[in-house]
Amino acid sequence: MTLLSVRDLTVELQTSRGMAAAVRGVSFDLEKGGTLGIVGESGCGKSITALSLLGLLPDGARATGRVDLDGTDLLSLDEDDLCHVRGNRIAMIFQEPMTSLNPVHRIGRQIAEPLRLHRGLGGAGAREEVLRLLHRVGLPDPARRINAYPHQLSGGQRQRVMIAMALSCAPDILLADEPTTALDVTIQGQILDLINELVEDTGMGLILISHDLGVISESVDNVAVMYGGAIVEQGTTDRLFADLVHPYSQGLFAAVPRPGAVRGARLQTIAGTVPELADLPPACTFADRCAKASPVCWRETPAMTAFGPGHAAACHHHERRGDA
Amino acid sequence: MARMTSIDPEHAQGAADLGFVHRALRHRSFMIGLVLTGTMIFLALLSLIWTPHSATEIVIAQRLKPPSLSHWFGTDQFGRDILSMIMAGAQTSIVVGLIAVSLGAAVGISLGLWAAARRGWTEDVIMRLSDLNMAFPVILIAILLTAGWGPGITNAIIALGIYNISVFARQVRGAGIAMWEREFILAARAAGKGDLSITVAHVLPNIVSVIVVQATISFAIAILAEAALSYLGVGSQPPNPSWGRMLSESQSYIFFKPVIAVWPGLAIVLSVLGLNLIGDGLRDLVDPRLARQR
Repeated sequence: MTLLSVRDLTVELQTSRGMAAAVRGVSFDLEKGGTLGIVGESGCGKSITALSLLGLLPDGARATGRVDLDGTDLLSLDEDDLCHVRGNRIAMIFQEPMTSLNPVHRIGRQIAEPLRLHRGLGGAGAREEVLRLLHRVGLPDPARRINAYPHQLSGGQRQRVMIAMALSCAPDILLADEPTTALDVTIQGQILDLINELVEDTGMGLILISHDLGVISESVDNVAVMYGGAIVEQGTTDRLFADLVHPYSQGLFAAVPRPGAVRGARLQTIAGTVPELADLPPACTFADRCAKASPVCWRETPAMTAFGPGHAAACHHHERRGDA
Repeated sequence: MARMTSIDPEHAQGAADLGFVHRALRHRSFMIGLVLTGTMIFLALLSLIWTPHSATEIVIAQRLKPPSLSHWFGTDQFGRDILSMIMAGAQTSIVVGLIAVSLGAAVGISLGLWAAARRGWTEDVIMRLSDLNMAFPVILIAILLTAGWGPGITNAIIALGIYNISVFARQVRGAGIAMWEREFILAARAAGKGDLSITVAHVLPNIVSVIVVQATISFAIAILAEAALSYLGVGSQPPNPSWGRMLSESQSYIFFKPVIAVWPGLAIVLSVLGLNLIGDGLRDLVDPRLARQR
């Protein structure tokens, strides 16, 4: 059953050079309990896509399209109704556990906040629930840590606290925006394991945003690759990684350093840099960096085309390869 | 503070929090400020129950006496004991400062927080009104009020309070906007909190230090302004002792009895200095980065 359906989501941001599209016609579905990874480099529109689901776009931004959660279009909700969705039905965790907790409040109080807000829990009931949550996310010695301030915890512990906050109202969807990027590699693994375990146990859906292909490939069932605000390739994790179709996905995958490579071998890169939003090519946004680009790439936006079950990509040149 | 530098940055703030009293005791200018302000408050409180002589009783036979054992600071042109007047005048200064700052802070902080939370035209309107308010010097506001309702301490307090509104509104708006950009505010919004509860629970507690520092400095300015208003005759009215009016009345005797102008002048200087030192010290003490440099 489809829980979240995003159709043709376009987000325009105010920049110094006028309105520029940061997200261009993004569509995806999330099944109940399903997991989706969104992967792409910095500035490709991953985070803006996530924030637009919650109506948390920066001032002056404009979102069009449809974002249906159980049949309700989130884009048409007003601020009050959105507040009932945020934290309650869709919860979010952020990249920087160092800065996403308020430094002046004890963590127990911060976790109790959504409980009070959405579930009307207070006092001893809230405290008990906070202890349960802290225990659930594996924070050692919750009874003592409940009175700690954020600066008294390590990065991994803080991210566990953030996850506890996100879990507090048993959301339908967990949005994780680069949840492990700021953490040590060993802690990264622990946090990802925790998230996966919680998704399995609670049956909530997961949208995991990352630039790290390794993180994505191990944690989710479906993947969407974004570039320049558009999804360029999407499919089930197995199929997509077995046969990368879009030149950008191929480049991204080739750029991952591999252990055991020849000593002195150069890392693969994708030529050029991500252009500013306003400078993106008009049709295929990857055209100016793509080795296979031809005039048609500058004229027509490539449509999402299926390449076998559960795998689609938007590239003119792959079609040609298919035809030949 | 050398000990602080060896602590790793992640825990430095915690250590700083724990050692606040300790660091305050070592902060020399903060302690001087505390002693000066403490003395002023002590004298004002003491004057409620006891002064060496009456602060208002006129004894013409004793007029313009130099400092002596029975009149430590001497007497003024009406034979009133200057020490007693200084003590009672401290009451006036504190009351005016306290009420004017509270009034300005209450309204100004609310407006500043509102502007920071809403941005857009709400912010524009609040800030332009605040500009308008700032364009009127406090003395002018007081004279306008006096023209309407006659001179008196109440009008001086209202004038100072109105002036303080924009001072607090600007400070709080600036600090509040910076706070709204922080990630934990985004996290709070993502958790479904509304603007009002974010403002109360997340923005305000994080800018308390800015407000406390501003309050001590505004308090000092209010004491100075009360003295100026009373000097001009639009503040505290006789026979209530006021440092500003003592200064203004001593003006006629400045050439042959300069000492009677020195006492109220010294009282104003020391109390304003004390509050400013406290404000400066607090700014250092609440900022762990500055604290470690010392």
